[in-house]
Amino acid sequence: MAFLELSQVSFSYPRRQRPAVAEIDLTLDRGGITAVMGPNGSGKTTLTRLMMGILRPDAGSIRLKNRSLREYSLAEIGRCIGYVFQNPDQQLFCNTVAEEIGFGLLHLGWEREAISERVEFYLNYFELAAYRYVFPLHLSRGEKQRLAIAAVLAGEPGFLILDEPTAGLDAYRKGLLIDYLKKIAGLGRGVVFVSHDAGFVKRATDRVICLESGQICGDTGQVGDPGYAD
Amino acid sequence: MRIDPRTKLVLIACLTTLAVIYDTPGQLLLLLGVTALLLLMFGVGPGVAWGYLRAYLPLFLTLFIIQAIFWTGPGGRGQALLAVGRVAVITGGGLEAGAGVVLRLCVVIVVAILLTTASSRDFILGLVQWGVPYEIAFMVSIAIRFLPVFREELIDTVTAIQLRGIDLKKVPWGQKMGLYRSLLFPAAYGALLKARQLSESMEARGFRSYPQRTYLRRLRLNVADWVLMLSFLAATLVLVWLQIRFD
Repeated sequence: MAFLELSQVSFSYPRRQRPAVAEIDLTLDRGGITAVMGPNGSGKTTLTRLMMGILRPDAGSIRLKNRSLREYSLAEIGRCIGYVFQNPDQQLFCNTVAEEIGFGLLHLGWEREAISERVEFYLNYFELAAYRYVFPLHLSRGEKQRLAIAAVLAGEPGFLILDEPTAGLDAYRKGLLIDYLKKIAGLGRGVVFVSHDAGFVKRATDRVICLESGQICGDTGQVGDPGYAD
Repeated sequence: MRIDPRTKLVLIACLTTLAVIYDTPGQLLLLLGVTALLLLMFGVGPGVAWGYLRAYLPLFLTLFIIQAIFWTGPGGRGQALLAVGRVAVITGGGLEAGAGVVLRLCVVIVVAILLTTASSRDFILGLVQWGVPYEIAFMVSIAIRFLPVFREELIDTVTAIQLRGIDLKKVPWGQKMGLYRSLLFPAAYGALLKARQLSESMEARGFRSYPQRTYLRRLRLNVADWVLMLSFLAATLVLVWLQIRFD
């Protein structure tokens, strides 16, 4: 039983002649790191937004833990899968960097002390401690990217989807991100990311899926542990 | 049908004026029909208009219910259609007022679709040829362009909040209002930051480098433009006068 399963999924944006993704069949399991690659406009971001339930497929079905994605609310999907948007500005909405990292935990009823501890860890790991009281939209592109990733990772979702996570990151911080992704994949949590960065993909991934004109044109094959526990 | 953007601005002004002046569902329904016909004339089908209106259905429903329950006219609330004991909850007058508010909003939204039938460049050019300073015309067009962008950003923020595991439907109202209030400042400040970036980008590309601007193209009003503009202006003046005279 796959963690996330797409069957014959197609989606078109309104007033566009060509479908953004067409007849996608894909299964993803927990464990392992999968990269989605492809040229601009090949449907990578659309595919991740479909997997997150932000977009609804025109045809085909998506199943999360063997239940149709339509049966889940966005919040329920968010508790199963962490999602880092392509543009970090879209997901930064708090008044300070520290608030941003702790936001989800606070509203999920975590204890203050546990939140502080978790926030401190991610501030340090992503080298954002100096900016803890800074308004998130005042950060540089790379800092915003690190914050968006930290804010999603803080919730420790069982599966992660990251859309262009290396945009704006320098080589050193890409290395840190690879280490972290490998660590969480090693703990049996799946990771899927969209990237154009061939070097990063080569160093980080176990599986590479290539998209072209909305269709899968290459897949190095399934990896990871097909079973999962809640 | 090729119509000058200035004619469209006049039509928009006439139709929105009538939408504000009219208050009965019958009048507003008729106005909505005329607007829909105009849109058809400009190649915008009912499906497109419905696409815009559909997004506002929850707002329409809320406004309708509020008006239906709380509306009180000068002569009272009209005939009670639903009462709890001696208290009339829903009245004929309330339903009429609710329908009026919803139809007025529908007219305004459908009229606004006219703005999408010409490029913002053409609207700027039209306004400049009418003597509006270029800076003001440009600002208006930017504001029009950015309103849907701002709306989409707010939707993205609400999506991002939910994807952090927070089920907004299950959050109690008091807490939900607090949550939205705390989001208001970052959203407004984010918009200001974007405005600043936009102005820097414009200046970097030579905006207002010279006091005079030249234009490659000039818009010309043709006979159809004059006929449409004058007939709509005349009809609007007459209808407004009739409404004031006999209301």
